[in-house]
Amino acid sequence: MIKIENLHVSVGGKEILKGINLEIGAGEVHAIMGPNGSGKSTLSNVIAGRDGYEVTKGSITYKGKDLLEMRPEERAWEGVFLAFQYPVEIPGVNNTYLLKAGVNARRKHQGEQELDAMEFMQLVKEKAKLVELDQSFLSRGVNEGFSGGEKKRNEIFQMAVLEPSLALLDETDSGLDIDALRIVAKGVNTLRAPDRSVVMVTHYQRLLDYIKPDVVHVLVDGQILKSGDASLALELEERGYDWVREEAAA
Amino acid sequence: MSTTLQAIRDSAWQAFEAAGLPTTRDEDWKYSDLTRISTLLGEQWWDVAAEGIVDATSFIIPDLDAYKVLFVNGCFDAEASELPETVNVTSLATLIQDEPEKTIELMQHQADAPFANGMTALNAAKATDGCCICVPANLKLDRPLHILHINSGGAVHLRTGITIGEHAGLEIIEHFAGDADVAGLTNSLTAIRLAAGARCEHYRLQLESGKQWHLGRVEVNQKADSSYTMHAVELGSALSRVDVVDDLKEPGAESELNGLFVLSGRQHVDHHTRVAHEAPHCRSRESYRTVLDGRSHAVFNGKVVVAKGAVKTDSAQSNANLLLSNRAEIDTKPELEIYNDDVKCAHGATVGQLDKNQLFYLKSRGLSEEEAKQLLTFAFADELLAKMKSKPVRRYIERAAFAKLPNLSGLEDMLT
Repeated sequence: MIKIENLHVSVGGKEILKGINLEIGAGEVHAIMGPNGSGKSTLSNVIAGRDGYEVTKGSITYKGKDLLEMRPEERAWEGVFLAFQYPVEIPGVNNTYLLKAGVNARRKHQGEQELDAMEFMQLVKEKAKLVELDQSFLSRGVNEGFSGGEKKRNEIFQMAVLEPSLALLDETDSGLDIDALRIVAKGVNTLRAPDRSVVMVTHYQRLLDYIKPDVVHVLVDGQILKSGDASLALELEERGYDWVREEAAA
Repeated sequence: MSTTLQAIRDSAWQAFEAAGLPTTRDEDWKYSDLTRISTLLGEQWWDVAAEGIVDATSFIIPDLDAYKVLFVNGCFDAEASELPETVNVTSLATLIQDEPEKTIELMQHQADAPFANGMTALNAAKATDGCCICVPANLKLDRPLHILHINSGGAVHLRTGITIGEHAGLEIIEHFAGDADVAGLTNSLTAIRLAAGARCEHYRLQLESGKQWHLGRVEVNQKADSSYTMHAVELGSALSRVDVVDDLKEPGAESELNGLFVLSGRQHVDHHTRVAHEAPHCRSRESYRTVLDGRSHAVFNGKVVVAKGAVKTDSAQSNANLLLSNRAEIDTKPELEIYNDDVKCAHGATVGQLDKNQLFYLKSRGLSEEEAKQLLTFAFADELLAKMKSKPVRRYIERAAFAKLPNLSGLEDMLT
């Protein structure tokens, strides 16, 4: 699905990612864990195409194409989805309108017929139910006046509607109570399919109780120092990150 | 009173001759230069007659179920109008002929502070038509009143007086339109008096032709517990200057002033508003937004004055401006003058481009850069239009504003 090779990224002249190598196969769920400031969010933002990140070295290949050459919207059309750590509020832009524009832009790009209003509403209602999002949210402005938890759930709702091939969840679990966490996990688990991959960026292992990763990576100081199976997350929870640093230095 | 209408007109004319046009040396007019008007319309610019054929049907607001009062080039068109039976609507010209003493009242309504400036004096001297509306106490007019002024390129001086009785209600759409390809001038003064408990929803839509000059003044006088809401929309004309003066005279009066400008090319629009809290427990809200493209220029000057005894005043004012072009200009000045302690007043102004985080968010969901920009621009303007209770008016303005913004096609779904 996606292959990242020797990726170096600077922000404002400061190197944040220092040679990331990562390969995620179709159908796999990966977790990227690490302490604050290790570069986790930078990695998700670079994949989604946000401005202000300078790739100084390395490459990202997505479905065989050079991802870094694509504009953010092209990435979306090709199935890349980022669930934002801090979703922005966009008053005046209706949630449903945004999703319809997004879904149809992608369908158009892929040469499929655009959904009409009826078909689209059916899809939206079904997905809203999945993440237990009240219907009234649909007609409100994007994230306008939503609580932190509602914003995160809205991200997962959007993901469910847009049905991406590669979903990046950037700290989607932070600030969620246990009920909301379960709902978010249900949304993600429903999406799991042989042709879809999920990357969860987090620094807690509790999300991984609900969404079982195939691979866990430890990102420290801009480098992936260790990778392992789901048990690695438990170990990190117990022992922290210092031992990974020491092990890598040894 | 021994005075006659002619005497009032004569003294108004003298006042105009003495004051002349406001100039840019006057602080209140420093951004709006009126002196060019004589170059456009000639030496006797105030008397230029309009020519051309006017087709009123092209200015209909779809689905608006309203009484109609039509003025073509400043003259009441009785045949094309549909007046209510329960509320007295008389054209000024008829009033001058039939009941001159009532006209004196209308022209003298501001006798305690005569003629704010030369333009106001000129209006009193020259206004030959307009309308006089009296809503009796305890009556809410069943349909809105659509007053349509079409100017095909002359100098038109209009005077409108609206009196709303105790606990009565009126929704009024003052609509200035025209598509003339020649320069003209509309000089309009509307005075609205609200008795205790009266309500008024006032849409003031300025969609005149791009060559027109528009000068407007709205004077509102509110008694206890009355409520006045204005939605001012500025889409048309080459130059438009509107002064809004709202006096909250008695306790419990509420006022809401909303303004939206969508400007392009070299359009120039200047609004000066003044809300005076003269009694305790009054509430005022003001929200102005501008979207500026091309080399357009907007001026917003909003003043709130809280008088000495006006305790428990609750006032908030905001002005947000979106610049789509590097060459567009906004001059904004919110002002507060407070003469007592026990008040709650907030004001603020912002000037900016589109928000980068919002743009990225939309793009990450599959909208192109261009679509995302258009969507955010439209949403910015539409948020203000959402305050309009009249769906047909909102739809009409949305579409007219939409048509002015470049390349918004494909976003029709956004329209209500």
